[in-house]
Amino acid sequence: MTTNTAAPDQTREDRPAPGRERTQWTRAVRFVLSERVALLSVLLVVVVAWFWFLGQNDYLVAPYDADYLASALETMVPLCLLGLAEFIVIVSGRGGIDLSVGSIVSLSGMALGFMVGEWGWPVIPALALTVLIGGILGAINGVLVAYLGFPALIATLATYYAYGSLALLSNDKAPISTKPIQDLHSLTRALDLPVVPDLPLQVLTFLVPTVVVVWLLVNRTTFGRRLYAIGTNDVAARFANIDVRQTRFRAYLAAGLLSGVVAVVTVAQFASARPDAGSVGNGMALPAITIAVLGGVAISGGLGRVAGVVVAALLVVWLNAGILLAYEGSDGSQVQLFALGAVLVLSALLNAVTLRRRGGAR
Amino acid sequence: MTGLAQAAPLRRRRPVARAVEGQELALVAVIALLWLALSVGTDTFLTGSNLRNIVFGVAAVAIIGIGMTPIIVTGGIDVSVGSMVAVVMVVVAKLIRDSGVSAPLAVAVAVGLGLALGCVNGLLVSLGGIHPIIVTFGMLNVFRFVALRIFDSKQVTGVPDTLAWFGGGQAGRGLLGIPNAWWLAMVLAALMWCYMRYWATGRHWYAIGNDATAARLAGIKVRQRTVAAYALTGALVGLAGCVLIGSGGLVQQNAGTGLELQVIAAVVIGGTSILGGRGTVLGTLLGALLVGTVTSAITLLGWRSELTELFIGLFILVAVGVDLVRERRRSAR
Amino acid sequence: MTTAEAPPVLRLTGIEKRYGGVHALRGVDFWLARGEVHALVGENGAGKSTLIKIVSGAETPDAGRIEIDGHPLPAGSTTSALSAGIATVYQEPQLFGELTVAENVFIGRELRRAGVVRRGRQHDAVVRLLEDIGLDGAVADVRVADLSVAEQQLVSIAKAFASQPRVLILDEPSAILTDHEIETLFGAIRRMRDSGVAVIYISHRLDELAQITDRVTVLRDGQVVASRPTRELSVRAVAELMVGHTLATGQVRRTVPDGEPVLATTGLGRRGVFAGVDLAIRPGEVVALYGLVGSGAAGIARALYGIDPADSGTVRIDGAVVTLRSPADAVRHGVTMLPANRKVQGIFSTKSIAFNISSAHLRLLSRVGLWLDRGRERAVARDFIKRIAIKAPGPATLVGNLSGGNQQKVVLARQLVQRPRILLLEEPTQGVDVGAKDEIHRIIVELADAGSAVLVVSSDLPEVLQVADRILVVRAGQVVAQFDRGARQADVLAAAAADVGPRAAAASSPTTEVGAA
Repeated sequence: MTTNTAAPDQTREDRPAPGRERTQWTRAVRFVLSERVALLSVLLVVVVAWFWFLGQNDYLVAPYDADYLASALETMVPLCLLGLAEFIVIVSGRGGIDLSVGSIVSLSGMALGFMVGEWGWPVIPALALTVLIGGILGAINGVLVAYLGFPALIATLATYYAYGSLALLSNDKAPISTKPIQDLHSLTRALDLPVVPDLPLQVLTFLVPTVVVVWLLVNRTTFGRRLYAIGTNDVAARFANIDVRQTRFRAYLAAGLLSGVVAVVTVAQFASARPDAGSVGNGMALPAITIAVLGGVAISGGLGRVAGVVVAALLVVWLNAGILLAYEGSDGSQVQLFALGAVLVLSALLNAVTLRRRGGAR
Repeated sequence: MTGLAQAAPLRRRRPVARAVEGQELALVAVIALLWLALSVGTDTFLTGSNLRNIVFGVAAVAIIGIGMTPIIVTGGIDVSVGSMVAVVMVVVAKLIRDSGVSAPLAVAVAVGLGLALGCVNGLLVSLGGIHPIIVTFGMLNVFRFVALRIFDSKQVTGVPDTLAWFGGGQAGRGLLGIPNAWWLAMVLAALMWCYMRYWATGRHWYAIGNDATAARLAGIKVRQRTVAAYALTGALVGLAGCVLIGSGGLVQQNAGTGLELQVIAAVVIGGTSILGGRGTVLGTLLGALLVGTVTSAITLLGWRSELTELFIGLFILVAVGVDLVRERRRSAR
Repeated sequence: MTTAEAPPVLRLTGIEKRYGGVHALRGVDFWLARGEVHALVGENGAGKSTLIKIVSGAETPDAGRIEIDGHPLPAGSTTSALSAGIATVYQEPQLFGELTVAENVFIGRELRRAGVVRRGRQHDAVVRLLEDIGLDGAVADVRVADLSVAEQQLVSIAKAFASQPRVLILDEPSAILTDHEIETLFGAIRRMRDSGVAVIYISHRLDELAQITDRVTVLRDGQVVASRPTRELSVRAVAELMVGHTLATGQVRRTVPDGEPVLATTGLGRRGVFAGVDLAIRPGEVVALYGLVGSGAAGIARALYGIDPADSGTVRIDGAVVTLRSPADAVRHGVTMLPANRKVQGIFSTKSIAFNISSAHLRLLSRVGLWLDRGRERAVARDFIKRIAIKAPGPATLVGNLSGGNQQKVVLARQLVQRPRILLLEEPTQGVDVGAKDEIHRIIVELADAGSAVLVVSSDLPEVLQVADRILVVRAGQVVAQFDRGARQADVLAAAAADVGPRAAAASSPTTEVGAA
């Protein structure tokens, strides 16, 4: 407040008005810093332009061109879908998080392996059942967190262990890659498209439809409203006659369903149902949480957008793809790790700063 | 004039804060029952070598858990310890192999390095204002990257057994035939138990976990205490690294992956509340021991080893579930 | 009493404080003698809490002097207030649940030897402390989480006493205590007084004043209207001083249409909160439940909304017995509620006005209960922005960016999307500026005119007098008196604030007496 005289009643609790002499340019910077999607888009352009420039000047081991970017989208599918799964549970608030998504991918993937690869069930119902099994596993998380009151971190840590163990037990640690399973690979073949670069099929058949469905779910349905409401303030949600527990349960259910979709994609992509599909390296949960946080999802709940998560996934995938070309041997994958970690910490720092700016957004 | 004692609603039996918590007693009972059953049921359980294997197998988890407990008590978490261990192990293993440093120096380097990495976490958490799980998730990657760069795409082979005192072999056997690593865990746990119970600064961790704002208003140095918990965990990770290098030989690039979840599981099974404010290192030690016992039992009974993780998951749910029920009773009064 | 001759421990002269356009304190003079218990009373908004915030250093006065033992105290610093020996106990106990009582008393300034807490010494000191002020020393080693809220309150008073304060400020310490616990509290306060501590005692329960305080200072509209020895004042006189002799402004004269009650309760109760409540509201009627903080009045509304369900008695809606075990039950029967605590229970601060209004009506504002009809949602929000004058650029404005009064209007709008048959309002104008307050009162009356049954729970007496057709006074969880429109402020206050018995309350104009405690 710059005025010395007593301000009228109304403005006292209002936000302090921004200075009038702020220039166009600083306003643009402010916008980019506070609107996560804008910031990520700018970063995305910078990253792609930088690697393209490097490629043009022969610093890279292979060209960083449109075809390469299109084929890199293959790795985006599981990353983005699980990022959306984490987005939904984190938005639901009260420390929402799901560490078990990787184990759900492993276990429902093994189920698909048995259904199609061992028992010879027809493919389409088996795919649907796989997604459903993912949903059931997510529902177990949901019951633990929403109805029994377990902290999400603990409940999903426990089910991370339990589901992962069951996946390993199911076929005595062995992958299933019989002929019918190998045939599933056709679900993820590269599309021969006119004009535009060849896209991996699963981008069109799995990624785009799922992103659209999730977007509609959180932005256009009553469930989406309830989800943001309980994440923002679950006490107020209760007074507004929202079934807080049911809504939170459904968030974990949705995360399970999305993990089921990822299981289908992963099995098809590798032409094999592997019991450790979701737990190799640091597992799938960590990158997924990273994507969500990078996409502007506040860990305190109630804030975050689908577009942010998708652009964040795209940024990480194309950054990783560029890094792979910039280094030889395994160096590239190491630098990817560093980039992921550093980007996560920096974006969280940025979240903290913008939240503090916005004030009262806790 | 009536005192508090005469006031009617205040007359109920009042639990006085005890040295040993109910959950710890329950854990002791469960472990004792398991040991009894396994001693009767199998010939191989109650043998020196098997018991040594059990405690050595969980020594590293227990040692890190001694630091993780105060972190969780303050309401935080550190999921980067697995990567930290990898950094410590590769650095120390290479130093021993390539520069032939002595055991004391190796330990000092391990602890010092761990301390430094822990400080990084602590400072980011307390100064950056970022949720600890996010910070340490990020650092998990960054530390792993650092470790892999030092590995330089090769596992470290032919590490001399300079640190054999910590190892699982003959040289690592200490008093009463118990591995030195487990003695170390027990001694450190005892020290930490005393510290968290009797030292003012140790009690402050609980106050921070109960209500950080009120703690700050009461004059507690919240930031300093938070950094201390993470730094301490780092130092203990250094010691755990020594245990894992132990008898020398091979250090693989995936060293320490998944360790963080085992440590958190031990802490949580030991009765520490993930929401902060409550927990003891005695519980953590028992939690680790329970996990070790189950792992051993599954092997001895000829069950499949993957069942271990299923049991860990169930134990976490039971331990926290019991606690939830107790809390609900308490608040329903 | 000798206290009057002793030199004052604390002296305030000409304290002025403005918040924006609100003149909260207008030249307040106040002094506190050594070893006296000094009551500070006044209606909500009279300036009590501003005054104690200034004394404890949490707020800086615009003008005036604060002296302690004749030395000026730097204003606006909690640390210098603390080191000058001013300790404040707020209503919410600031304790650590997992630490013992002894540890809580010494937190941050433990008795140590080489870093180790001297538990034995602390224990002895705390036992002595507790027994000194008449509490049970055996609780010293009990974890605070294992104590009841009342016990925690007493412990936080003991904790404040342990810092050996010269001035101890108690902010409504008795609000949540039972009669028996209040006796313990009074014992503690008397012993502190006898050891030379000067106590500022803030309370709404006027009947306590005679028991525990030596002097009473009454604040009204930011000014001291009286400061006299307690024995010179009756409860009635204090109440008169608090409210002044002004009539409530703009009282609406309206006639309530006859008809069967839409909501009726018999013997409604919830253990430890309220009991034996009979009330009936007709369509078009505004009934107020007036009670002081901790009276249980709010609990009645919360039970009717199913948030904290009743455990005895019956509720009838349109003559049929209903069970209200959740807000969903209540809403199904046409009951909606405006919660008291706007920030915690009301708003979604990072969300838009449209989001906030529609949140309780998602099924109504959707197609087949699933797809949100965003056009209608916006239209509804825009309509309310106009209808009840929410000052905001449009329905997309974030509620967190609005002033308190406009936030409250948004939450109120949420209750009005479907015209409620029974509307429960808990403290509808708490923390709201005067303009918005009048508008909210007008909306309440309009709703009643349109046929809604309205129950207002409020501790704001002028508000109650202004909007209610009938006032039920709640004290200690029971309805103790009933007044019609035109009741005198002091009578209602006296009934709520003191156990003066039906006869005293009946002195002026109560129409009916409902089962006294």
